[in-house]
Amino acid sequence: MRFAREHAVIGAALLTSLALSALLGESVLSLYVLLLLTAIVTVGVSVLMGHAGQVSLGQGAFYACGAYAAGILSTNGVPTLIGLCAAPVAAAALAAAIGIPLLLLRGHHLAFATLAMHIIFLSLIGELREVTGGDIGLQGIPRLDLFVVELDSPRDYAFLSSIALFCVIVLLRNILGSRPGRALRALSSSEVAAASSGIPVGRYKLAVFTLSAGIAGLAGGIYTFYLGYLAPGSFPVMLSIQYVVMAAVGGMGTVSGGVVGSALVLLTVDALSRVATLSGMPSVAPIIASYAVYAVLLVSAVLFLPEGLVPFVGRLWSRRARARSPEHADAPAEGASVSR
Amino acid sequence: MLGVEGLSRRFGGIYAVREVRLQVEQGELRGVLGPNGAGKSTLFHLIAGQLSPDSGSVRLRGEAIDRLGPARRAEAGIAIVYQNDRIFRGMTLRENVMVGAHSRASHGFFAAALRTPRFRKEERELAATADAVLDEVGLGGQADQLADSLPLGQQRSLQLARALAAAPSVLLLDEPASGLRTGERQRFAATLQKLRSRGVAILWIEHDVRLVTSLADRITVLDLGSVLAEGTPSEIRAHPGVIAAYLGGPEEALD
Ligand SMILES: Nc1ncnc2c1ncn2[C@@H]1O[C@H](COP(=O)(O)OP(=O)(O)O)[C@@H](O)[C@H]1O
Ligand SMILES: [Mg+2]
Repeated sequence: MRFAREHAVIGAALLTSLALSALLGESVLSLYVLLLLTAIVTVGVSVLMGHAGQVSLGQGAFYACGAYAAGILSTNGVPTLIGLCAAPVAAAALAAAIGIPLLLLRGHHLAFATLAMHIIFLSLIGELREVTGGDIGLQGIPRLDLFVVELDSPRDYAFLSSIALFCVIVLLRNILGSRPGRALRALSSSEVAAASSGIPVGRYKLAVFTLSAGIAGLAGGIYTFYLGYLAPGSFPVMLSIQYVVMAAVGGMGTVSGGVVGSALVLLTVDALSRVATLSGMPSVAPIIASYAVYAVLLVSAVLFLPEGLVPFVGRLWSRRARARSPEHADAPAEGASVSR
Repeated sequence: MLGVEGLSRRFGGIYAVREVRLQVEQGELRGVLGPNGAGKSTLFHLIAGQLSPDSGSVRLRGEAIDRLGPARRAEAGIAIVYQNDRIFRGMTLRENVMVGAHSRASHGFFAAALRTPRFRKEERELAATADAVLDEVGLGGQADQLADSLPLGQQRSLQLARALAAAPSVLLLDEPASGLRTGERQRFAATLQKLRSRGVAILWIEHDVRLVTSLADRITVLDLGSVLAEGTPSEIRAHPGVIAAYLGGPEEALD
């Protein structure tokens, strides 16, 4: 029954997102597409951090990798749909290639190593001018052609991103509730006990790292066709940090926390940067404002809501529900479900 | 079933386990006794593959498994219940035990993401296995409860259930009865006997000497990392070295 209710919630969320895609005005539509793409990446980061105990500060590079894979292929005559499919594959392949040595390291080392990878990736894009367009950028990327329909307006990409986010959420929830997902959740609780239960800990960490990279790559691929133009400046290191902040604020390990966290952070940053760009503000105000949002949100999440927003609200909610119906006092606690 | 040859492991120059030799047969319940720091837990970690030895070898069904990591040893049939609690937090009892049965299914990320028929079938079987094992250790009614909320004694039972779910041929129990109440102890003793009759080779570290001598087929006594004595419970009771070094004098030895 819980499963049916989860399906209803996810289905309702998809319908809401499709409705928003149809109804939102042109002026906010681009922000909405960005929000959906960010949520896709953050959901993957959240699962990686919450269920494999790893912090990746290189998720922006996987996003960029997917974007450039799709962009380079489709500017060289490959059908755009194949370009889009190649985006997650390329990002996952990059993650697998570097994950094997990286996953021998752990904790902060993995964070630093992925951060370094992001920086190296950016400079590679800048250097390989022939292929990537260098710092000037990759131009003339065609629109995504799905044979029956060509996606050429921001609204089309809002629909596409809504569906992509929906698919990612469904896939992740299916995984988390099953054998490989239990293995991941187990090893984030005790690696020793997981290993002696027959779980190859290193391989599972590599798998979830690769999976989260593939998800980031998919979002990057959509971004490419949406924007039609790519430059290394679109993928600053701050992007990687932003995903981690969003996952932490929303609630690590929870799929819906990834969505809530990205929405909260992105909308706050956007609102503040609007204020900061009002006339009379100093020219550095927008940058300072956005950095301040990340810092303040992260610090307050760590201090006041270490579990994240969604698990916190979920607990309040179930406590209230229990208080109202004492006969259900020993019902399974919130968190018993992998859903959330 | 399980053979240990000349197994040694040092920490900072001091032997925690020294030249240990051990042979446990199918269906044998082997008690392991020894004072704190004798090297009992270290011996188990070496057998389960959590630690690697400085020298020596571990054999399962006659084959050396020294090159296998802990996960491969679990697949090969070795299960362990740790001395300190290592339950999986944030997961229900059923999920905890299903993790124990990990090697009994094979579907991976793709099958799970797409909910293939094989995935559904395996998940049903895993859940049924978990529920049966939970019943066996007396946690039957609580399968949907979060493991975090269990009192200590039941956490031990949960660890036992998780180990049993793998249908192991060798079971390592590191003080599994500590923290159990009287009723739970009796159930635990009954479970041990049932497992023995199923042919599981059991190594059982236990501080309650009376309980071990009444149940075990044979007993190994460790002291300062080495085997001090090995034999049937009555031999161990009569062993002068054991009485002197471990049991602390004849009056504390068991009647
Ligand atoms: N990881 C470790 N690092 C350093 N010393 C250890 C470690 N594990 C065990 N020891 C030492 O090895 C000896 C045996 O410990 P242990 O196997 O836990 O004994 P027992 O389980 O019989 O009480 C003790 O002196 C302990 O301090
Ligand atoms: Mg011990």
